[in-house]
Amino acid sequence: MSTSRSNLKTSLPSAHAASTQSQSNMRHVPPNSNVSRQPERQPPNKPGADPRHLAIALHHAHRIQAQKDTESLILDRILELVTFPSSPSADPASPSPEDAQTFKSALIPFQPADYDNLIQERNIEGLCGYGLCPHEHRKDDSRGTYRITWGAKGSGPGGRGREMNIVPREKLEMWCSDECAERALYIRVQLAEEPVWERRADNARGKNLLLLEEGRTVTQRGKGKAATVGEVTGQLANFHMSGTPGSSNLAGDMSKLSVRDGAHFHELALERGDANPALRAGRVDIQIQENENLPFERVTAPEMRPGDDKGGSIEGYVPQEF
Amino acid sequence: MDDDYSSGSVDADREMTRLWRTWRTVFEMLQDRGYEVTEEEVQISLGEFKHKYSDPLGYPDRNKMKIQARPTEAMQAKYTALKTNSNPDPQPDCGTIYVEFCPDSTGVGTKQVRTFNHFVDENNFHTGVFITQTPISPSAVRLLSGVPGRICEHFQEQDLLVNITRHELVPKHVLLSPEEKARLLQRYRLKESQLPRIQVSDPVARYLGLRRGQVVKIIRRSETAGRYASYRWVI
Repeated sequence: MSTSRSNLKTSLPSAHAASTQSQSNMRHVPPNSNVSRQPERQPPNKPGADPRHLAIALHHAHRIQAQKDTESLILDRILELVTFPSSPSADPASPSPEDAQTFKSALIPFQPADYDNLIQERNIEGLCGYGLCPHEHRKDDSRGTYRITWGAKGSGPGGRGREMNIVPREKLEMWCSDECAERALYIRVQLAEEPVWERRADNARGKNLLLLEEGRTVTQRGKGKAATVGEVTGQLANFHMSGTPGSSNLAGDMSKLSVRDGAHFHELALERGDANPALRAGRVDIQIQENENLPFERVTAPEMRPGDDKGGSIEGYVPQEF
Repeated sequence: MDDDYSSGSVDADREMTRLWRTWRTVFEMLQDRGYEVTEEEVQISLGEFKHKYSDPLGYPDRNKMKIQARPTEAMQAKYTALKTNSNPDPQPDCGTIYVEFCPDSTGVGTKQVRTFNHFVDENNFHTGVFITQTPISPSAVRLLSGVPGRICEHFQEQDLLVNITRHELVPKHVLLSPEEKARLLQRYRLKESQLPRIQVSDPVARYLGLRRGQVVKIIRRSETAGRYASYRWVI
Protein backbone atom coordinates (compact mmCIF):
# COMPACT_ATOMS: atom_id res chain seq x y z
CA MET A 1 0.00 0.00 0.00
CA SER A 2 2.82 2.36 0.78
CA THR A 3 4.22 1.83 -2.68
CA SER A 4 0.95 2.75 -4.34
CA ARG A 5 0.70 5.85 -2.24
CA SER A 6 4.15 6.91 -3.27
CA ASN A 7 3.13 6.30 -6.90
CA LEU A 8 0.35 8.81 -6.52
CA LYS A 9 1.75 12.07 -7.76
CA THR A 10 -0.63 14.38 -5.97
CA SER A 11 -1.01 15.98 -2.60
CA LEU A 12 -4.81 16.08 -2.58
CA PRO A 13 -6.06 14.24 0.49
CA SER A 14 -9.28 13.17 -1.30
CA ALA A 15 -7.29 11.39 -3.98
CA HIS A 16 -5.32 9.54 -1.35
CA ALA A 17 -8.51 8.59 0.42
CA ALA A 18 -9.96 7.20 -2.81
CA SER A 19 -6.84 5.24 -3.54
CA THR A 20 -6.74 3.63 -0.08
CA GLN A 21 -10.43 2.87 -0.45
CA SER A 22 -9.90 1.00 -3.67
CA GLN A 23 -6.87 -0.71 -2.20
CA SER A 24 -8.79 -2.06 0.77
CA ASN A 25 -11.47 -3.31 -1.59
CA MET A 26 -8.92 -4.96 -3.79
CA ARG A 27 -7.45 -6.81 -0.89
CA HIS A 28 -10.68 -8.70 -0.22
CA VAL A 29 -11.58 -9.44 -3.78
CA PRO A 30 -9.69 -12.29 -5.35
CA PRO A 31 -8.25 -11.55 -8.77
CA ASN A 32 -11.06 -13.06 -10.76
CA SER A 33 -13.63 -11.18 -12.76
CA ASN A 34 -16.74 -13.19 -11.96
CA VAL A 35 -16.29 -12.97 -8.23
CA SER A 36 -15.28 -9.35 -8.19
CA ARG A 37 -18.56 -8.60 -9.88
CA GLN A 38 -20.50 -10.06 -7.00
CA PRO A 39 -20.48 -7.10 -4.64
CA GLU A 40 -22.36 -5.11 -7.26
CA ARG A 41 -25.05 -7.75 -7.49
CA GLN A 42 -25.46 -7.90 -3.76
CA PRO A 43 -28.48 -6.09 -2.36
CA PRO A 44 -27.50 -2.89 -0.60
CA ASN A 45 -29.11 -3.94 2.68
CA LYS A 46 -26.56 -6.73 3.12
CA PRO A 47 -23.23 -5.03 3.39
CA GLY A 48 -21.76 -7.80 5.56
CA ALA A 49 -21.73 -10.46 2.85
CA ASP A 50 -18.09 -10.90 2.04
CA PRO A 51 -17.56 -12.47 -1.41
CA ARG A 52 -14.79 -14.55 0.05
CA HIS A 53 -17.12 -16.00 2.66
CA LEU A 54 -19.71 -16.57 0.00
CA ALA A 55 -17.17 -18.40 -2.14
CA ILE A 56 -16.11 -20.60 0.75
CA ALA A 57 -19.71 -21.40 1.62
CA LEU A 58 -20.38 -22.30 -2.00
CA HIS A 59 -17.26 -24.42 -2.11
CA HIS A 60 -18.42 -26.46 0.84
CA ALA A 61 -21.94 -26.69 -0.52
CA HIS A 62 -20.55 -28.09 -3.76
CA ARG A 63 -18.50 -30.61 -1.88
CA ILE A 64 -21.52 -31.82 0.05
CA GLN A 65 -23.50 -32.01 -3.15
CA ALA A 66 -20.76 -34.06 -4.81
CA GLN A 67 -20.76 -36.36 -1.82
CA LYS A 68 -24.51 -36.86 -2.09
CA ASP A 69 -24.23 -37.50 -5.80
CA THR A 70 -21.59 -40.14 -5.22
CA GLU A 71 -23.74 -41.81 -2.60
CA SER A 72 -26.66 -42.02 -4.98
CA LEU A 73 -24.33 -43.32 -7.67
CA ILE A 74 -23.18 -46.09 -5.35
CA LEU A 75 -26.78 -46.90 -4.51
CA ASP A 76 -27.57 -47.18 -8.22
CA ARG A 77 -24.57 -49.44 -8.68
CA ILE A 78 -25.76 -51.67 -5.85
CA LEU A 79 -29.20 -51.92 -7.40
CA GLU A 80 -27.58 -52.78 -10.73
CA LEU A 81 -25.33 -55.44 -9.28
CA VAL A 82 -28.06 -57.08 -7.19
CA THR A 83 -29.31 -59.01 -10.19
CA PHE A 84 -25.91 -59.62 -11.75
CA PRO A 85 -24.81 -61.58 -13.81
CA SER A 86 -27.42 -61.40 -16.52
CA SER A 87 -27.30 -65.01 -17.69
CA PRO A 88 -28.28 -67.68 -15.15
CA SER A 89 -25.73 -70.14 -16.55
CA ALA A 90 -22.69 -67.92 -15.95
CA ASP A 91 -19.79 -69.63 -14.26
CA PRO A 92 -18.37 -67.68 -11.29
CA ALA A 93 -14.95 -69.31 -11.82
CA SER A 94 -14.59 -68.03 -15.36
CA PRO A 95 -16.96 -65.12 -15.94
CA SER A 96 -17.36 -63.66 -19.38
CA PRO A 97 -14.95 -60.76 -19.99
CA GLU A 98 -17.79 -58.24 -20.39
CA ASP A 99 -19.37 -59.27 -17.09
CA ALA A 100 -16.06 -59.15 -15.28
CA GLN A 101 -15.29 -55.76 -16.75
CA THR A 102 -18.69 -54.32 -15.82
CA PHE A 103 -18.43 -55.75 -12.35
CA LYS A 104 -14.97 -54.34 -11.76
CA SER A 105 -15.69 -50.91 -13.13
CA ALA A 106 -18.90 -50.71 -11.11
CA LEU A 107 -17.01 -51.47 -7.93
CA ILE A 108 -14.47 -48.67 -8.31
CA PRO A 109 -16.30 -46.08 -6.15
CA PHE A 110 -17.17 -48.66 -3.49
CA GLN A 111 -15.93 -48.75 0.06
CA PRO A 112 -15.84 -52.09 1.89
CA ALA A 113 -19.03 -51.12 3.75
CA ASP A 114 -20.85 -50.49 0.46
CA TYR A 115 -19.63 -53.86 -0.74
CA ASP A 116 -21.10 -55.45 2.38
CA ASN A 117 -24.39 -53.76 1.61
CA LEU A 118 -24.27 -55.24 -1.86
CA ILE A 119 -23.69 -58.73 -0.43
CA GLN A 120 -26.60 -58.26 1.99
CA GLU A 121 -28.84 -57.03 -0.80
CA ARG A 122 -27.96 -60.03 -2.97
CA ASN A 123 -28.66 -62.39 -0.11
CA ILE A 124 -32.06 -60.83 0.40
CA GLU A 125 -32.70 -61.53 -3.25
CA GLY A 126 -31.67 -65.12 -2.57
CA LEU A 127 -28.44 -64.96 -4.55
CA CYS A 128 -24.88 -65.77 -3.61
CA GLY A 129 -23.05 -62.73 -2.28
CA TYR A 130 -20.37 -62.83 -4.98
CA GLY A 131 -21.39 -60.45 -7.74
CA LEU A 132 -20.45 -62.74 -10.62
CA CYS A 133 -22.20 -65.82 -9.30
CA PRO A 134 -25.74 -66.56 -10.49
CA HIS A 135 -26.40 -69.36 -8.00
CA GLU A 136 -28.55 -69.24 -4.91
CA HIS A 137 -26.91 -68.83 -1.57
CA ARG A 138 -26.73 -71.70 0.89
CA LYS A 139 -29.72 -72.22 3.10
CA ASP A 140 -29.57 -74.17 6.29
CA ASP A 141 -32.94 -75.09 7.63
CA SER A 142 -31.79 -76.33 10.99
CA ARG A 143 -31.73 -73.87 13.82
CA GLY A 144 -28.70 -72.77 15.79
CA THR A 145 -26.58 -69.72 15.29
CA TYR A 146 -23.27 -71.49 14.69
CA ARG A 147 -21.99 -74.15 12.36
CA ILE A 148 -18.95 -76.37 12.53
CA THR A 149 -16.98 -76.63 9.33
CA TRP A 150 -14.31 -79.23 8.70
CA GLY A 151 -11.30 -78.56 6.52
CA ALA A 152 -9.61 -80.95 4.13
CA LYS A 153 -7.72 -83.98 5.42
CA GLY A 154 -4.37 -83.06 6.88
CA SER A 155 -5.28 -79.41 7.44
CA GLY A 156 -5.38 -79.70 11.22
CA PRO A 157 -2.71 -78.70 13.71
CA GLY A 158 0.63 -80.32 12.93
CA GLY A 159 -0.61 -81.59 9.61
CA ARG A 160 -2.74 -84.25 11.22
CA GLY A 161 -6.48 -84.56 11.34
CA ARG A 162 -8.88 -81.96 10.03
CA GLU A 163 -9.13 -78.30 10.76
CA MET A 164 -12.29 -77.35 12.62
CA ASN A 165 -13.93 -73.94 12.50
CA ILE A 166 -16.97 -72.62 14.28
CA VAL A 167 -18.67 -70.16 11.99
CA PRO A 168 -21.79 -68.04 12.51
CA ARG A 169 -24.59 -69.31 10.35
CA GLU A 170 -25.17 -65.96 8.60
CA LYS A 171 -21.58 -65.95 7.40
CA LEU A 172 -21.99 -69.36 5.84
CA GLU A 173 -25.31 -68.50 4.29
CA MET A 174 -23.93 -65.47 2.50
CA TRP A 175 -22.36 -67.60 -0.23
CA CYS A 176 -23.18 -70.52 -2.45
CA SER A 177 -19.82 -72.17 -1.81
CA ASP A 178 -16.49 -71.59 -0.08
CA GLU A 179 -14.90 -70.77 -3.42
CA CYS A 180 -17.34 -67.94 -4.01
CA ALA A 181 -16.69 -66.65 -0.49
CA GLU A 182 -13.00 -66.55 -1.25
CA ARG A 183 -13.56 -64.79 -4.56
CA ALA A 184 -15.85 -62.19 -3.01
CA LEU A 185 -13.54 -61.46 -0.10
CA TYR A 186 -10.57 -61.25 -2.46
CA ILE A 187 -12.35 -58.35 -4.12
CA ARG A 188 -13.31 -56.80 -0.80
CA VAL A 189 -9.76 -56.44 0.47
CA GLN A 190 -8.78 -54.60 -2.71
CA LEU A 191 -11.38 -51.87 -2.28
CA ALA A 192 -10.15 -48.52 -1.05
CA GLU A 193 -11.05 -47.68 2.53
CA GLU A 194 -11.58 -43.96 2.07
CA PRO A 195 -14.70 -42.63 0.35
CA VAL A 196 -14.33 -41.76 -3.31
CA TRP A 197 -14.58 -38.00 -2.75
CA GLU A 198 -11.53 -38.07 -0.53
CA ARG A 199 -9.36 -40.24 -2.73
CA ARG A 200 -6.27 -38.82 -4.28
CA ALA A 201 -6.00 -38.89 -8.03
CA ASP A 202 -2.73 -40.79 -7.97
CA ASN A 203 -3.91 -43.42 -5.53
CA ALA A 204 -4.06 -46.60 -7.55
CA ARG A 205 -5.69 -48.62 -4.78
CA GLY A 206 -9.19 -49.71 -5.58
CA LYS A 207 -8.87 -48.84 -9.25
CA ASN A 208 -7.25 -51.94 -10.68
CA LEU A 209 -9.35 -54.65 -9.14
CA LEU A 210 -8.37 -58.22 -9.86
CA LEU A 211 -10.63 -61.20 -9.66
CA LEU A 212 -9.28 -64.12 -7.67
CA GLU A 213 -8.54 -66.14 -10.80
CA GLU A 214 -6.66 -63.24 -12.38
CA GLY A 215 -4.81 -62.67 -9.14
CA ARG A 216 -3.72 -66.29 -9.08
CA THR A 217 -2.32 -66.17 -12.58
CA VAL A 218 -0.42 -63.01 -11.73
CA THR A 219 1.16 -64.52 -8.62
CA GLN A 220 2.00 -67.69 -10.51
CA ARG A 221 3.79 -65.64 -13.10
CA GLY A 222 5.57 -63.77 -10.37
CA LYS A 223 6.84 -67.00 -8.92
CA GLY A 224 8.38 -67.89 -12.23
CA LYS A 225 6.04 -70.74 -12.97
CA ALA A 226 5.20 -71.40 -16.55
CA ALA A 227 2.45 -69.15 -17.76
CA THR A 228 1.12 -69.91 -21.19
CA VAL A 229 1.27 -67.28 -23.86
CA GLY A 230 -2.49 -67.24 -24.06
CA GLU A 231 -2.83 -66.41 -20.38
CA VAL A 232 -0.39 -63.57 -20.64
CA THR A 233 -2.05 -62.04 -23.66
CA GLY A 234 -5.38 -62.44 -21.92
CA GLN A 235 -4.04 -60.52 -18.98
CA LEU A 236 -2.67 -57.83 -21.23
CA ALA A 237 -5.99 -57.53 -23.01
CA ASN A 238 -7.66 -57.13 -19.66
CA PHE A 239 -5.29 -54.42 -18.65
CA HIS A 240 -5.81 -52.60 -21.91
CA MET A 241 -9.52 -52.78 -21.46
CA SER A 242 -9.33 -51.29 -18.03
CA GLY A 243 -7.38 -48.44 -19.54
CA THR A 244 -9.77 -47.50 -22.32
CA PRO A 245 -12.01 -44.62 -21.36
CA GLY A 246 -14.94 -45.86 -23.43
CA SER A 247 -15.47 -49.09 -21.54
CA SER A 248 -17.61 -47.44 -18.94
CA ASN A 249 -18.43 -43.94 -17.91
CA LEU A 250 -16.83 -44.19 -14.54
CA ALA A 251 -13.82 -46.14 -15.71
CA GLY A 252 -13.26 -43.35 -18.17
CA ASP A 253 -13.57 -40.73 -15.50
CA MET A 254 -11.25 -42.61 -13.24
CA SER A 255 -8.61 -43.03 -15.91
CA LYS A 256 -8.91 -39.32 -16.52
CA LEU A 257 -8.19 -38.68 -12.89
CA SER A 258 -4.85 -40.35 -13.10
CA VAL A 259 -3.69 -38.17 -15.97
CA ARG A 260 -1.73 -35.31 -14.52
CA ASP A 261 -1.47 -33.00 -17.51
CA GLY A 262 -2.72 -29.45 -17.25
CA ALA A 263 -6.13 -29.63 -18.90
CA HIS A 264 -7.30 -32.66 -16.98
CA PHE A 265 -5.84 -31.36 -13.79
CA HIS A 266 -7.74 -28.14 -14.18
CA GLU A 267 -10.91 -30.01 -15.04
CA LEU A 268 -10.53 -32.16 -11.99
CA ALA A 269 -9.91 -29.15 -9.79
CA LEU A 270 -13.02 -27.54 -11.21
CA GLU A 271 -15.05 -30.65 -10.54
CA ARG A 272 -13.86 -30.82 -6.99
CA GLY A 273 -14.51 -27.16 -6.40
CA ASP A 274 -10.82 -26.50 -5.79
CA ALA A 275 -10.71 -24.14 -8.72
CA ASN A 276 -12.64 -21.67 -6.69
CA PRO A 277 -10.81 -18.38 -7.02
CA ALA A 278 -11.22 -17.57 -3.36
CA LEU A 279 -9.42 -20.71 -2.41
CA ARG A 280 -6.70 -20.71 -5.00
CA ALA A 281 -4.27 -19.49 -2.44
CA GLY A 282 -5.70 -21.67 0.28
CA ARG A 283 -8.05 -20.59 3.01
CA VAL A 284 -5.31 -19.13 5.15
CA ASP A 285 -2.99 -16.55 3.78
CA ILE A 286 0.40 -18.18 4.17
CA GLN A 287 3.54 -16.31 3.22
CA ILE A 288 6.72 -18.24 3.59
CA GLN A 289 9.67 -15.97 4.07
CA GLU A 290 13.14 -17.45 3.98
CA ASN A 291 15.75 -15.63 5.93
CA GLU A 292 18.60 -14.90 3.57
CA ASN A 293 22.05 -13.45 4.16
CA LEU A 294 22.43 -15.17 7.46
CA PRO A 295 25.96 -14.61 8.74
CA PHE A 296 27.81 -17.77 7.86
CA GLU A 297 30.36 -18.66 10.46
CA ARG A 298 32.44 -21.66 11.04
CA VAL A 299 31.14 -23.59 13.95
CA THR A 300 33.92 -24.50 16.31
CA ALA A 301 34.05 -26.40 19.49
CA PRO A 302 33.97 -24.26 22.64
CA GLU A 303 37.38 -23.27 23.92
CA MET A 304 38.64 -22.21 27.32
CA ARG A 305 38.76 -18.47 27.61
CA PRO A 306 40.65 -16.62 30.23
CA GLY A 307 38.73 -16.56 33.50
CA ASP A 308 36.56 -19.56 32.59
CA ASP A 309 38.29 -21.64 35.26
CA LYS A 310 36.70 -19.37 37.87
CA GLY A 311 33.24 -19.70 36.41
CA GLY A 312 33.56 -17.07 33.65
CA SER A 313 31.17 -14.24 33.11
CA ILE A 314 27.41 -14.36 33.34
CA GLU A 315 26.16 -12.33 30.40
CA GLY A 316 29.10 -10.04 30.73
CA TYR A 317 29.07 -9.84 34.53
CA VAL A 318 32.04 -11.34 36.20
CA PRO A 319 31.33 -12.37 39.78
CA GLN A 320 33.69 -10.80 42.23
CA GLU A 321 35.93 -12.87 44.38
CA PHE A 322 35.83 -12.23 48.07
CA MET B 1 -51.16 -83.65 16.63
CA ASP B 2 -53.61 -81.93 18.91
CA ASP B 3 -50.69 -80.25 20.69
CA ASP B 4 -49.25 -79.05 17.40
CA TYR B 5 -52.48 -77.49 16.39
CA SER B 6 -52.98 -75.69 19.65
CA SER B 7 -49.40 -74.38 19.73
CA GLY B 8 -49.91 -73.09 16.18
CA SER B 9 -53.03 -71.26 17.19
CA VAL B 10 -51.28 -69.83 20.26
CA ASP B 11 -48.54 -68.56 17.98
CA ALA B 12 -51.07 -67.03 15.64
CA ASP B 13 -52.90 -65.48 18.54
CA ARG B 14 -49.77 -63.91 19.91
CA GLU B 15 -48.78 -62.47 16.56
CA MET B 16 -52.28 -61.17 16.02
CA THR B 17 -52.29 -59.44 19.41
CA ARG B 18 -48.92 -57.86 18.82
CA LEU B 19 -49.99 -56.63 15.44
CA TRP B 20 -53.20 -55.25 16.90
CA ARG B 21 -51.20 -53.15 19.29
CA THR B 22 -49.00 -51.88 16.48
CA TRP B 23 -52.09 -51.11 14.46
CA ARG B 24 -53.61 -49.07 17.25
CA THR B 25 -50.36 -47.15 17.74
CA VAL B 26 -50.31 -46.35 14.04
CA PHE B 27 -53.78 -44.86 14.31
CA GLU B 28 -52.89 -42.92 17.43
CA MET B 29 -49.84 -41.65 15.56
CA LEU B 30 -51.96 -40.52 12.63
CA GLN B 31 -54.36 -38.83 15.03
CA ASP B 32 -51.55 -37.07 16.89
CA ARG B 33 -50.06 -35.88 13.63
CA GLY B 34 -53.41 -34.40 12.72
CA TYR B 35 -54.86 -36.73 10.12
CA GLU B 36 -58.55 -37.46 9.81
CA VAL B 37 -59.20 -40.73 11.60
CA THR B 38 -62.37 -41.73 13.37
CA GLU B 39 -62.55 -42.65 17.02
CA GLU B 40 -63.77 -46.18 16.14
CA GLU B 41 -60.68 -46.75 14.02
CA VAL B 42 -58.40 -45.71 16.85
CA GLN B 43 -60.28 -47.70 19.49
CA ILE B 44 -60.63 -50.88 17.45
CA SER B 45 -61.04 -53.91 19.70
CA LEU B 46 -58.93 -57.02 19.39
CA GLY B 47 -61.92 -59.13 18.37
CA GLU B 48 -62.87 -56.81 15.59
CA PHE B 49 -59.29 -56.53 14.41
CA LYS B 50 -59.00 -60.33 14.31
CA HIS B 51 -62.21 -60.59 12.40
CA LYS B 52 -61.09 -58.06 9.82
CA TYR B 53 -57.46 -58.82 9.22
CA SER B 54 -56.78 -62.50 9.85
CA ASP B 55 -56.47 -65.25 7.30
CA PRO B 56 -58.31 -68.59 7.68
CA LEU B 57 -55.45 -70.01 9.80
CA GLY B 58 -55.72 -67.19 12.31
CA TYR B 59 -52.49 -65.51 11.27
CA PRO B 60 -52.56 -61.83 10.36
CA ASP B 61 -52.91 -61.01 6.69
CA ARG B 62 -50.70 -57.97 6.21
CA ASN B 63 -51.66 -57.54 2.58
CA LYS B 64 -55.05 -56.29 3.72
CA MET B 65 -53.56 -53.83 6.17
CA LYS B 66 -53.27 -50.60 4.28
CA ILE B 67 -54.28 -47.20 5.61
CA GLN B 68 -54.93 -43.92 3.89
CA ALA B 69 -55.74 -40.73 5.73
CA ARG B 70 -56.21 -37.10 4.77
CA PRO B 71 -54.93 -34.20 6.84
CA THR B 72 -57.40 -32.16 8.84
CA GLU B 73 -57.91 -28.43 8.40
CA ALA B 74 -55.90 -27.75 11.53
CA MET B 75 -52.98 -29.76 10.26
CA GLN B 76 -53.08 -28.05 6.88
CA ALA B 77 -52.95 -24.70 8.63
CA LYS B 78 -49.96 -25.87 10.63
CA TYR B 79 -48.08 -26.93 7.55
CA THR B 80 -48.73 -23.79 5.52
CA ALA B 81 -45.71 -21.55 5.23
CA LEU B 82 -45.94 -17.84 5.97
CA LYS B 83 -47.01 -15.49 3.23
CA THR B 84 -44.12 -13.73 1.57
CA ASN B 85 -43.93 -11.22 -1.22
CA SER B 86 -42.68 -13.81 -3.65
CA ASN B 87 -45.20 -16.41 -2.52
CA PRO B 88 -48.43 -14.62 -1.55
CA ASP B 89 -50.57 -17.76 -1.49
CA PRO B 90 -48.59 -20.65 0.06
CA GLN B 91 -50.00 -24.16 -0.20
CA PRO B 92 -49.94 -26.52 2.80
CA ASP B 93 -46.97 -28.86 2.65
CA CYS B 94 -48.88 -31.96 3.65
CA GLY B 95 -51.27 -34.36 2.02
CA THR B 96 -52.69 -37.83 2.06
CA ILE B 97 -50.67 -40.33 4.03
CA TYR B 98 -50.40 -43.98 3.12
CA VAL B 99 -49.39 -46.72 5.53
CA GLU B 100 -48.38 -50.18 4.39
CA PHE B 101 -47.40 -53.26 6.36
CA CYS B 102 -44.79 -55.36 4.61
CA PRO B 103 -45.86 -59.02 4.52
CA ASP B 104 -42.31 -60.43 4.17
CA SER B 105 -41.11 -61.81 7.47
CA THR B 106 -37.39 -61.87 6.67
CA GLY B 107 -34.97 -59.90 4.57
CA VAL B 108 -36.64 -56.73 3.46
CA GLY B 109 -34.41 -55.15 0.86
CA THR B 110 -34.45 -52.71 -1.97
CA LYS B 111 -36.94 -54.72 -3.98
CA GLN B 112 -39.86 -54.24 -1.59
CA VAL B 113 -38.89 -50.64 -0.92
CA ARG B 114 -38.79 -49.89 -4.62
CA THR B 115 -42.27 -51.34 -5.05
CA PHE B 116 -43.47 -49.24 -2.13
CA ASN B 117 -41.85 -46.07 -3.48
CA HIS B 118 -43.39 -46.73 -6.85
CA PHE B 119 -46.83 -47.21 -5.35
CA VAL B 120 -46.59 -44.01 -3.32
CA ASP B 121 -45.42 -42.09 -6.35
CA GLU B 122 -48.03 -43.51 -8.67
CA ASN B 123 -50.95 -42.79 -6.38
CA ASN B 124 -49.60 -39.34 -5.63
CA PHE B 125 -49.49 -39.75 -1.87
CA HIS B 126 -47.67 -37.00 -0.04
CA THR B 127 -46.28 -39.24 2.69
CA GLY B 128 -45.68 -42.96 2.87
CA VAL B 129 -45.09 -45.05 5.97
CA PHE B 130 -43.53 -48.45 5.46
CA ILE B 131 -43.82 -50.86 8.38
CA THR B 132 -41.76 -54.04 8.40
CA GLN B 133 -41.25 -56.90 10.80
CA THR B 134 -37.45 -56.93 10.57
CA PRO B 135 -34.88 -54.19 10.08
CA ILE B 136 -34.39 -53.20 6.46
CA SER B 137 -31.01 -53.11 4.74
CA PRO B 138 -28.96 -49.87 4.69
CA SER B 139 -29.34 -49.39 0.97
CA ALA B 140 -33.08 -49.82 1.34
CA VAL B 141 -33.12 -47.05 3.96
CA ARG B 142 -31.22 -44.79 1.60
CA LEU B 143 -33.58 -45.65 -1.24
CA LEU B 144 -36.60 -44.96 0.95
CA SER B 145 -35.41 -41.51 1.97
CA GLY B 146 -34.33 -40.58 -1.53
CA VAL B 147 -37.72 -40.12 -3.17
CA PRO B 148 -37.81 -36.58 -4.55
CA GLY B 149 -40.86 -34.60 -3.50
CA ARG B 150 -42.29 -37.30 -1.24
CA ILE B 151 -41.66 -38.23 2.34
CA CYS B 152 -41.22 -41.91 3.05
CA GLU B 153 -40.78 -43.11 6.59
CA HIS B 154 -39.94 -46.50 7.95
CA PHE B 155 -40.89 -48.14 11.21
CA GLN B 156 -40.44 -51.59 12.58
CA GLU B 157 -43.50 -53.30 14.01
CA GLN B 158 -41.82 -53.70 17.36
CA ASP B 159 -41.05 -49.96 17.51
CA LEU B 160 -44.77 -49.26 17.51
CA LEU B 161 -45.78 -52.01 19.89
CA VAL B 162 -46.31 -49.41 22.60
CA ASN B 163 -47.06 -45.78 22.03
CA ILE B 164 -44.00 -44.06 23.46
CA THR B 165 -45.71 -40.69 23.75
CA ARG B 166 -48.20 -42.15 26.24
CA HIS B 167 -45.40 -43.00 28.65
CA GLU B 168 -45.45 -40.89 31.79
CA LEU B 169 -41.85 -39.78 31.41
CA VAL B 170 -42.31 -38.50 27.87
CA PRO B 171 -43.40 -34.86 27.89
CA LYS B 172 -45.96 -33.49 25.50
CA HIS B 173 -44.52 -32.36 22.16
CA VAL B 174 -46.52 -29.82 20.20
CA LEU B 175 -45.57 -28.76 16.70
CA LEU B 176 -45.63 -25.00 16.16
CA SER B 177 -47.06 -23.53 12.98
CA PRO B 178 -44.85 -21.13 11.00
CA GLU B 179 -46.78 -18.19 12.47
CA GLU B 180 -46.30 -19.40 16.04
CA LYS B 181 -42.67 -20.01 15.31
CA ALA B 182 -42.21 -16.50 13.96
CA ARG B 183 -43.97 -15.08 17.01
CA LEU B 184 -41.80 -17.11 19.36
CA LEU B 185 -38.62 -15.95 17.67
CA GLN B 186 -39.83 -12.37 17.79
CA ARG B 187 -40.89 -12.61 21.42
CA TYR B 188 -37.50 -13.83 22.55
CA ARG B 189 -35.58 -11.94 19.87
CA LEU B 190 -33.90 -15.08 18.68
CA LYS B 191 -32.68 -16.54 15.47
CA GLU B 192 -33.92 -20.08 15.03
CA SER B 193 -30.36 -21.35 15.23
CA GLN B 194 -30.22 -20.04 18.79
CA LEU B 195 -32.92 -22.44 19.95
CA PRO B 196 -32.09 -25.77 21.56
CA ARG B 197 -32.28 -28.60 19.06
CA ILE B 198 -33.90 -31.97 18.54
CA GLN B 199 -32.82 -34.52 15.97
CA VAL B 200 -35.10 -35.72 13.20
CA SER B 201 -34.17 -39.23 14.24
CA ASP B 202 -35.40 -38.64 17.80
CA PRO B 203 -38.09 -41.24 18.59
CA VAL B 204 -40.74 -38.63 19.33
CA ALA B 205 -39.71 -36.60 16.27
CA ARG B 206 -40.08 -39.74 14.17
CA TYR B 207 -43.45 -40.44 15.75
CA LEU B 208 -44.69 -36.96 14.91
CA GLY B 209 -43.06 -36.99 11.49
CA LEU B 210 -41.20 -33.75 12.17
CA ARG B 211 -39.20 -32.13 9.42
CA ARG B 212 -35.99 -30.18 9.49
CA GLY B 213 -36.52 -26.53 10.38
CA GLN B 214 -39.72 -26.94 12.34
CA VAL B 215 -39.98 -25.99 15.99
CA VAL B 216 -41.67 -28.10 18.67
CA LYS B 217 -42.88 -26.90 22.02
CA ILE B 218 -42.19 -29.35 24.79
CA ILE B 219 -44.43 -29.02 27.80
CA ARG B 220 -43.18 -30.60 30.99
CA ARG B 221 -44.66 -30.76 34.45
CA SER B 222 -42.60 -28.84 36.92
CA GLU B 223 -42.79 -29.08 40.69
CA THR B 224 -42.07 -25.41 41.17
CA ALA B 225 -43.63 -23.77 38.18
CA GLY B 226 -46.53 -26.08 37.43
CA ARG B 227 -45.85 -26.25 33.74
CA TYR B 228 -42.63 -25.55 31.95
CA ALA B 229 -42.41 -25.07 28.21
CA SER B 230 -39.25 -25.35 26.20
CA TYR B 231 -38.71 -25.22 22.49
CA ARG B 232 -36.65 -27.35 20.17
CA TRP B 233 -35.55 -26.66 16.63
CA VAL B 234 -35.65 -29.81 14.51
CA ILE B 235 -32.39 -30.52 12.74
